[in-house]
Amino acid sequence: MDSESVEDFYSVGSALSSSSRRSNFSIQSKASGRNSIREANFGGLEPKSVRYGSHGANSETNSISMSQKEIDVEDARLVHINDPFLTNERFEFSGNSIRTGKYSILTFLPRNLFEQFHRVAYIYFLVIAVLNQLPQLAVFGRGVSILPLAFVLLVTAVKDAYEDHRRHKSDRIENNRLASVLVNDQFQQKKWKNIQVGEIIKIYANETIPCDMVLLSTSDPTGVAYIQTINLDGESNLKTRYAKQETLIKIPEKDKITGLIKCEKPNRNIYGFQANMEVDGKRLSLGPSNIILRGCELKNTAWAVGVAVYAGRETKAILNSSGAPSKRSRLETHMNLEIIFLSLFLIALCTVVSVCTTVWLRRHRDELDYMPFYRRKNFSKGEEENYNYSGWGLEICFTFLMSVIVFQVMIPISLYISMELVRVGQAYFMIRDTQMYDESSNSRFQCRALNINEDLGQIKYVFSDKTGTLTENKMEFQCASIWGVDYSGGKAISLDQKDGYFVKVDGSVLRPKIKVKTVPDLLQLARNGKETEEGSHVHNFFLALAACNTIVPLIVDTPDPTVKLIDYQGESPDEQALVYAAASYGFMLIERTSGHVMIDIQGERQRFDVLGLHEFDSDRKRMSVILGFSDKSVKVFVKGADTSMFSVADRSMNKNVICTTEANLYSYSSLGLRTLVVGMRELSTSEFKEWHSAFEIASTALMGRASLLRKVASNIEKNLCILGASGIEDKLQQGVPEAIESLRTAGIKVWVLTGDKQETAISIGYSSRLLTSKMTQIIINRKSKESCRKSLEDAIIMSKKLTTISGTTNDTGGMSGAGLTPIALIIDGSSLVYILDSELEESLFQLACNCSVVLCCRVAPLQKAGIVALIKKRTSDMTLAIGDGANDVSMIQMADVGVGISGQEGRQAVMASDFAMGQFRFLVPLLLVHGHWNYQRMGYMILYNFYRNAVFVLVLFWYVLFTCFTLTTAITEWSSVLYSIIYTSLPTIVVGILDKDLSRRTLLKYPHLYSAGQRHECYNKKLFWITMIDTFWQSAVAFFIPLLSYWGSTVDASSIGDLWTLAVVILVNLHLAMDVMRWNWLTHAAIWGSIIATFICVIVIDSLPFLVGYWAIFEIAKTGLFWLCLLAIIVAALIPRFVVKFLYQLYVPSDAHIAREIEKYRTQTESGAVGREMNSFLDAPRR
Amino acid sequence: MLVSIVFIPIGVVSLFASRDVVEIIDQYETECVPQNFRNDKVSFIQSNANKTCTRRLTVTKLMKKPIYVYYQLDNFYQNHRRYVKSRSDSQLKDNSGWDEVSSCKPEDMSNGQPIVPCGLIAWSLFNDTYNFSLNNQQLAVNKKGISWKSDRDRKFGRNVFPRNFQNGTLIGGKSLDPTVPLSKQEDLIVWMRTAALPTFRKLYGKIEWDLQPNEVIHVTLENNYNTYSFSGKKKLVLSTTSWLGGKNDFLGIAYLTVGGLCFFLALSFTVVYLVKPRRLGDPSYLSWNRNPGGH
Repeated sequence: MDSESVEDFYSVGSALSSSSRRSNFSIQSKASGRNSIREANFGGLEPKSVRYGSHGANSETNSISMSQKEIDVEDARLVHINDPFLTNERFEFSGNSIRTGKYSILTFLPRNLFEQFHRVAYIYFLVIAVLNQLPQLAVFGRGVSILPLAFVLLVTAVKDAYEDHRRHKSDRIENNRLASVLVNDQFQQKKWKNIQVGEIIKIYANETIPCDMVLLSTSDPTGVAYIQTINLDGESNLKTRYAKQETLIKIPEKDKITGLIKCEKPNRNIYGFQANMEVDGKRLSLGPSNIILRGCELKNTAWAVGVAVYAGRETKAILNSSGAPSKRSRLETHMNLEIIFLSLFLIALCTVVSVCTTVWLRRHRDELDYMPFYRRKNFSKGEEENYNYSGWGLEICFTFLMSVIVFQVMIPISLYISMELVRVGQAYFMIRDTQMYDESSNSRFQCRALNINEDLGQIKYVFSDKTGTLTENKMEFQCASIWGVDYSGGKAISLDQKDGYFVKVDGSVLRPKIKVKTVPDLLQLARNGKETEEGSHVHNFFLALAACNTIVPLIVDTPDPTVKLIDYQGESPDEQALVYAAASYGFMLIERTSGHVMIDIQGERQRFDVLGLHEFDSDRKRMSVILGFSDKSVKVFVKGADTSMFSVADRSMNKNVICTTEANLYSYSSLGLRTLVVGMRELSTSEFKEWHSAFEIASTALMGRASLLRKVASNIEKNLCILGASGIEDKLQQGVPEAIESLRTAGIKVWVLTGDKQETAISIGYSSRLLTSKMTQIIINRKSKESCRKSLEDAIIMSKKLTTISGTTNDTGGMSGAGLTPIALIIDGSSLVYILDSELEESLFQLACNCSVVLCCRVAPLQKAGIVALIKKRTSDMTLAIGDGANDVSMIQMADVGVGISGQEGRQAVMASDFAMGQFRFLVPLLLVHGHWNYQRMGYMILYNFYRNAVFVLVLFWYVLFTCFTLTTAITEWSSVLYSIIYTSLPTIVVGILDKDLSRRTLLKYPHLYSAGQRHECYNKKLFWITMIDTFWQSAVAFFIPLLSYWGSTVDASSIGDLWTLAVVILVNLHLAMDVMRWNWLTHAAIWGSIIATFICVIVIDSLPFLVGYWAIFEIAKTGLFWLCLLAIIVAALIPRFVVKFLYQLYVPSDAHIAREIEKYRTQTESGAVGREMNSFLDAPRR
Repeated sequence: MLVSIVFIPIGVVSLFASRDVVEIIDQYETECVPQNFRNDKVSFIQSNANKTCTRRLTVTKLMKKPIYVYYQLDNFYQNHRRYVKSRSDSQLKDNSGWDEVSSCKPEDMSNGQPIVPCGLIAWSLFNDTYNFSLNNQQLAVNKKGISWKSDRDRKFGRNVFPRNFQNGTLIGGKSLDPTVPLSKQEDLIVWMRTAALPTFRKLYGKIEWDLQPNEVIHVTLENNYNTYSFSGKKKLVLSTTSWLGGKNDFLGIAYLTVGGLCFFLALSFTVVYLVKPRRLGDPSYLSWNRNPGGH
């Protein structure tokens, strides 16, 4: 197998390589005779027949798992390796074909309708339409009443169908990809969709994995496979997966692999897997490192063989592909309240109508039979019978229902649809915004949740992660302290030594991909070798850096054939930085397998056996590697966080070194560097043997393996000799200080939650201008609840004192801008443990409210969410959480708005977020510009939609008062249906997408303008009621001017109905035009186009001879009265609004008004005419 | 200001136009009922008694021809829902649709036969008649062209003849000559254009004659139409017309009011601005500059 792996190395799974492999196998398998009947042939190897064996295994596992309790029997899934028939005997596991499409041709109609009617709005529509079908209630014609619903349903259905079609297409491509599957002891190409659980699949390098499978063997003799999970979580580095030793030696074609895998039910956790496998009577336990998931790619490994355990829709990738959790925007919640008001209003209107009907019927009860326009009795049939009269109660009831039908548009159903459209439009512009495009990572802004756009305009708290969010998470080795000597560059050394360090191999040059700045004297020391004492320490230090990690070196070709780059792939960016640093000091890691590492030390290639490796875990906070040197000595190298390292250091030895190292560490971390401490120890043979046996036992243990391993690790990681420490700079992202500053001026409180040390956090705080020297810092880091309580109380008292004192001094001093003495609260994770979820929460909240900056260090992911919840529970302010790593997910989901940074730490955060972007500084345009716009537009749009529909309904209502309260509409039913579809819908959508109250420049220049959203300036109760009063006035004007003008004239219902229609439509559109702040051709087209469209529609409707209103518009448009009425309505209706608006602008101008004037003023002064401003202003009231 | 400049003249002009219109209105529904029936007008109108009634109208101002003759009904809800719906447009338009009466209840069938024109609207066709005489000379009333041309041409068929009309037990109004096609029945066409408001006028005819001031017109009218059962009023209106239509001061007053208001507002804004100006775009008015740190 070894030879084969070499042969096939880097083969790209092509036909050629697979055929060569096949021939290889055939040679090997000749002896045992392939292609013969399986059971007979391999009976020798596998004493029980498959069927019997599996049954036996079944009962066996049952009994064991009872005691084992690792996987419950009921919850387990049993996979018989290489026996898909038996595995799928009960048809419970899905095949590997995926269907992301929701519908098939047959199910499309019912399912789509079903899904659509999940929206309450549509149900309302439907109920109204159904009511209208009852003959007693038929207000509108049948067709007319269904039209709007049908229209909306159709549009949505077409959209859904298109999307589904695309999904089907991509599914088909995905399902028809090929993979080689073991069938009858031969690997054959098989379509993905035909792969079944239990089958053995062979994957070649760079191929995508078709389903979740447990690794059996790989081309690597130690069973390592490298996979790239970019499709799954976006992480581009390689991850290592291992095949079990027991299965590694088997060749699928030759050795019949049979066995049983017992694993958990399919779940979404892509980082977890629990199973055990039974092969040859041995029971092995499997973990996340033994499974490769669908969607990943095999890299750097010639081939890998695995058995499918989850297929198709049960794979973790597909289970994870569901969308972001849906959140509801704050504005919409408020809006729903107002909708209830409107519903009440609607009910009130209907009640008024019903009551009036009752009174009228009562007063005229004797005349009903004879009134020519009522005629209760029907004489045509010979005998008298009631015509369309069902008695009192029913008549009133019918009237009520009919009025609901007539006034249905009071509830702006179309608002929901237009809001969705507007949000899509807004999202489009946000995505297209070049200021939020990250060139370095080539990532655009992403809108993952479409329904909280406007919340971006109301954020009050920003919770930010530090690493990867404020900082780039591109680690750079800066300085080292070795044996107590600080080698920090001081004078920044450029890379003038031409190409940094390189190695010559077979005539070609091997060079690390990233060059690191080096400190010359340290470089000199490293070059001098380990002869001197100092030199040997340096040597050991860098050897530790190069070896003690999980980095995988990858050799990458460059265009220049003589130069090859070495790329270090690994999960931790810190480790990468350290290895690159070691490489540039001449300790270049060339090759890593599970058995050995090859390190080129100053041009001399050395091989070290890796005897053991204890991976990093968050409890120990360190990792160690045990290296066997060529001179048979064994050393353990340990690397870890300072606290954990010093606790296991041998303090008796070189106290001095430890002290100075600690001092250096302190200075590093106050520079904002991330520090790691490196230590080593030489192991005696007995010690090693002891460890080795313990390690063997622990790593094969079935239960509690992790804790056993941890114990073994901590046994060996002790009495360390501290070699030194490294300082890695985590660079701040571009523009972060400016971004934080403008966020703070915008009235947003920025909290930083980080896992870093307090010193590091504070130093980052300074460099990001989160903390300034003017601030008073309150630091809480206590180890018990009582002391926490005490320090919290003290802090509150102090903060109160500070705020009051600064308030008074501020008044006397008359300092502008500076305001209060800001307080910064710095609190650490261990204190938070005591504070969160206890009664101290409240006092923390009080304290935090007084502080302008809060910095939480050493916090765990769940604590992050806890802090967000702390604010969210106690205030109604909007919170935003921004982060990039998996540890921020809980926080992102907790906050009202979650923003993910698509950075180095993978896509977990992005997957959980509502919005995703490339850099922290994009938060500023996102909130200050787009958030402000979105909020302003959406707030206006909701109000406008309420107004627009209410005006129309009120006009209908007024008319009803003059028709004996019978729901006659002068406005034709077609017009009332088209009103919200054609006449008035487009302008609000266009304005909702395009209107900008202020330019981007102004908004960025005056971040204070953002606070309008925090104060709910664009949408609140007051505005709602003002709008409603305005609505009342406008509808009254629109109705009564024609009424009084035409009172006692020959006008017929259709003509005056047309007048009302046109008046309302023009009024409503002009109202919008009056409020548009920024005109562009689309706005013009939409507003004037709608008015023209209305005229055309009215004309068309009146040109249909079978309708009552035939030719009415032409007849009435001939008269001057019509046009005069129209003009009078528009002016009289808009005057109050105009006056109020003007007075507001003059006397209580909002910040936005002034800023707008500044904008205008600027442009005018630029054009050189200052005086014109005055004139234009004086002209303004005259219109 | 602009508004007031435009509006005040329009208001004046329309007021003048409205004032120019000369109207003679005569309310007759009570006077045309004999004294002894005044307590029970409904039974009078339903009886077979002679309903002829004579009225004297004095011309107040010169009335230039054409003089429009209207009847005005008050409290008659031609826009009542039941009423408005009770018609069949397809039946009126073409002979082939003569039996499409389903929408016409309760006046759809009579004696088992479809009614043409069906429906409550047609059934309740106004049937008072007026004859005018000036100095014992018959004043001709031109009843041609009182309806919309579009209605005559395309809405009411040339080949549709009244059939089975007013044959039921209850007579609602005027009968139609079954030999004249609907497109020629202009009274019906006018009536079928249902009024928007409960007080409405309908054109009865035109008098092509100038009437001098103080001339007395004798009107002989047949008071047939039953408005008594719902206490509706009936008025006879002789009116000239202006470019603005009939006599209605409202719009003129409205224009004057709005114009005046605008003038006043513009004036007060200017004054207010001169007294207490606020420099536009002055950053010092921004809220964070006005009260530092206080938000």
